Amino acid sequence: MTAAVRPDAGIKLAGTAVFGTDLDVPGMLWAAFVPAPIAHGRLRTLDLRAARALPGVTVVGPEDLAKLLGTGERDLERPLFADGEIVYRNQPLAVVAAPSAVEARAAVAAVKVEVDPLPIISDLETVFPEWPGSDVDGNPQVAAHVRARHGKVEAEFRGADRVISETYRTASVHQVPLEPHACVAEIRGDVWYVRTSTQSPFGVREDAASLLGVPESAIVVDGTWVGGGFGGKGSSFLEPYALLLARASGRPVRFALGYREEFRLGRTTLPAVVRMETAVKDGRIRARRVRLLLDVGTSLPGRDFATGYSIGFLLGPYRTETFEVEGYAVRTHKPPFGPHRAPFAPQCAFVVESHLDHVAREMNLDPEEFRASHLWKEGEATLLGQTVGPFGISAAFERARATARTWRAEAPPGHGVGIGCGFWSTSTGAGGEVRLRLDPQRLTVVEGEREIGSGSVIAGLAAVAVRVTGLPRDRVTIEYGSTAVAPFDSGVYGSRTLGALGRAIEEAAVRLRRTLAERLGARGQAELSVERGEIYAEAGERRAAITLLLTPEEQAAGGLVAEGRHTAPPRSIDEDRVLAGSFYPYTDFTGAAHVAEVSVDPETGAVRVERYAAFHDAGTVVDPGAAQAQVEGGVAMGLGAALTEEAIWSEDGRLTNAGLLDYRIPTLGEIPPITVEFLEGFPGAGPFGAKGLGEPPIVPVPATVAIATRAACGAHVTELPLSAERVARALKLL
Amino acid sequence: MTAVPLRLTVNGQRREIADVPDPERLLDTLRWRLQLKGTKEGCRSGDCGACTVLVDGRSCLSCLTLAREVDGASVTTIEAGPEEALVARVRAAFEAAGALQCGYCTPGFVMAVAGLFHERGTAAPRAELLEGLGGNLCRCTGYAAIVRAVDLLRTGGP
Repeated sequence: MTAAVRPDAGIKLAGTAVFGTDLDVPGMLWAAFVPAPIAHGRLRTLDLRAARALPGVTVVGPEDLAKLLGTGERDLERPLFADGEIVYRNQPLAVVAAPSAVEARAAVAAVKVEVDPLPIISDLETVFPEWPGSDVDGNPQVAAHVRARHGKVEAEFRGADRVISETYRTASVHQVPLEPHACVAEIRGDVWYVRTSTQSPFGVREDAASLLGVPESAIVVDGTWVGGGFGGKGSSFLEPYALLLARASGRPVRFALGYREEFRLGRTTLPAVVRMETAVKDGRIRARRVRLLLDVGTSLPGRDFATGYSIGFLLGPYRTETFEVEGYAVRTHKPPFGPHRAPFAPQCAFVVESHLDHVAREMNLDPEEFRASHLWKEGEATLLGQTVGPFGISAAFERARATARTWRAEAPPGHGVGIGCGFWSTSTGAGGEVRLRLDPQRLTVVEGEREIGSGSVIAGLAAVAVRVTGLPRDRVTIEYGSTAVAPFDSGVYGSRTLGALGRAIEEAAVRLRRTLAERLGARGQAELSVERGEIYAEAGERRAAITLLLTPEEQAAGGLVAEGRHTAPPRSIDEDRVLAGSFYPYTDFTGAAHVAEVSVDPETGAVRVERYAAFHDAGTVVDPGAAQAQVEGGVAMGLGAALTEEAIWSEDGRLTNAGLLDYRIPTLGEIPPITVEFLEGFPGAGPFGAKGLGEPPIVPVPATVAIATRAACGAHVTELPLSAERVARALKLL
Repeated sequence: MTAVPLRLTVNGQRREIADVPDPERLLDTLRWRLQLKGTKEGCRSGDCGACTVLVDGRSCLSCLTLAREVDGASVTTIEAGPEEALVARVRAAFEAAGALQCGYCTPGFVMAVAGLFHERGTAAPRAELLEGLGGNLCRCTGYAAIVRAVDLLRTGGP
């Protein structure tokens, strides 16, 4: 048994943890969207009169905003309701609130909507039937265009022994947190108050302020326990609408999505097409050309972060001196693109790994040796000219190869074993502030993030506080505070929580211990310990109980306070290589190599994963139980993306499989035994050299399954997911 | 909408509700009339298992069960006290094995495991027990720690 008892196990197993969907305020109304009936059109009629006439019903439509919100400056680029033109199916046209869910549905049904249809751009191929050139400025369907290059690309391609070109397609995948989005809003005097299930209380506050035109200081966001986020609960969604309805009705308003709406309206990863071209000479990669079309739905031009960050994962982690990469964020009539655990990196790893495996096979080279010999090493430059920091990917790859050799020797006929790599970086993000409060009995970490399940807050931050103060675990409390009282942090995303808030705790602890040493008349930092139930500080020759070291003001205020803030380490890329758009450096280099043994049904093409091993460089592992759990969970989520998960959008912009029966996430029986191993000795930027681990485990999974599938049956599948149908087609069974 | 009277035992306590709208899902009766929010609402279509409760010891999807169908029955939810010995044992196994992360599927999983052991006993083949959990979805744990909790129970622990 490796898992430690989670601090939140007790209340979650007693059923007393309050999630967003559990919020219940006396007198509250239930909210619902009035959804757009088609994906693109001009709104001719929005008649809300019949809905407004229903007893107990409050309706807020576009015409009501001026009266409700006054003259505050609102972000009009992101209108709350379709602004004359509908740009995706189910886009909110208005919102209603009623005394029950049934009455809210009846009110929605009473709204009369008439729309003049406009042509629907449903997919990437509609926008660009041929690959676009660099001249896309002014194309309204291009939200972002990024381009980078280095070296004499054309010359290397001309001089190559062989150029291998392939096109890959990846599917739209949903986060599928088991808890749908849910919140309850209330207007309390002059405070706009909302409790919500979110990965970012401060992000919701900022978003709601800009969408509603209300000062941030007038909004209080208070988080609940979060029933899974995976990126889907990283910014505001229902909260501004619930606040509007609360303002209009004078009542508390509950807004929770049904699960079908969760699928239809969720901001998630959309389809992509990637063109890979590799020039090989003398068994080495001489140059690469990569082109990406990424569907970003109705994301706003200029606000796209995804393309430049995502495309970076198509360039590594393999050495290439000469390259050209070009990516287009393409707008279609779907909801805006949103982050999904390691946004787009599993898809990138699938493309890169499958392609290089294919290149080596075509060149009659050992595919694993080919990849291993090109992996980035510490100290060399990435394609964008950033120096690679401590990076355990080669060490992970060697462990994976040893495992793969054993499994191959044991595997029955028809089984295949494959290795896939993935790399990721801990995000930094804004904020990363904490407050430590030391009283004679305990150390309290005051911070503004709720636990979303990964354990990074309740287990990870507590472990850091224990390590930097020397106090026992039972003397450390994590105290979450709403945006009204907690220090600022931008959210639990990007595998950043342990790194950012952990470093802030380290800094605050140093301040706290310095202050205590000063008060003991010594230099340096005081050591803390517990004796006869009380906390003591010791520095130099002196030692005293904390009670004796606090000022009367501190005694009255509950303890000695020290604040800490995370500062992102300086990182940069060679901007001379960037020709268009933005690319981003990595905070640290987090590597993994996975091994899968799969069997393939020779009649149906169905792939079954028989066993799985994950080797991770996570820097210093702070909480081994939580770390192992992150890898197990990430692998399982990746197996879904590898084999079954695909949100299917029709030509008229409709999500055709909006439900858990048709959008299949892995069930218990589909997950193989997973072994997890950490490779230490490659420190990252987090506390004690930790690296974030929320996202890395999902990154190599689709690649690993694809390569194992090819080893098992010869099927080279260039689309995700590797459904039975796609494998059967590759085997010419269909 | 008509209303029906409902009498049932919930976690050992007799509960009577004079006028439950018919039809109303057992899930909604538990969560919104009896204020037992430990039973979670996920998909409301029987696909995720988050709302699993026990009805006379057997696991049951409360989102697909009408309240009137359980009139007269004994319902057990995650809020059950220590006198529900099997549920208490499953809870202890989940805690010991770290078989939860976000915790949203957890009440349903605990009930599903308790229902399985109630019906089949701890001596049932492992594969049969695990197959019986195929209707409960978890997005966080990859099921690995949940399987460890089941194994703990099979071997007499925790």
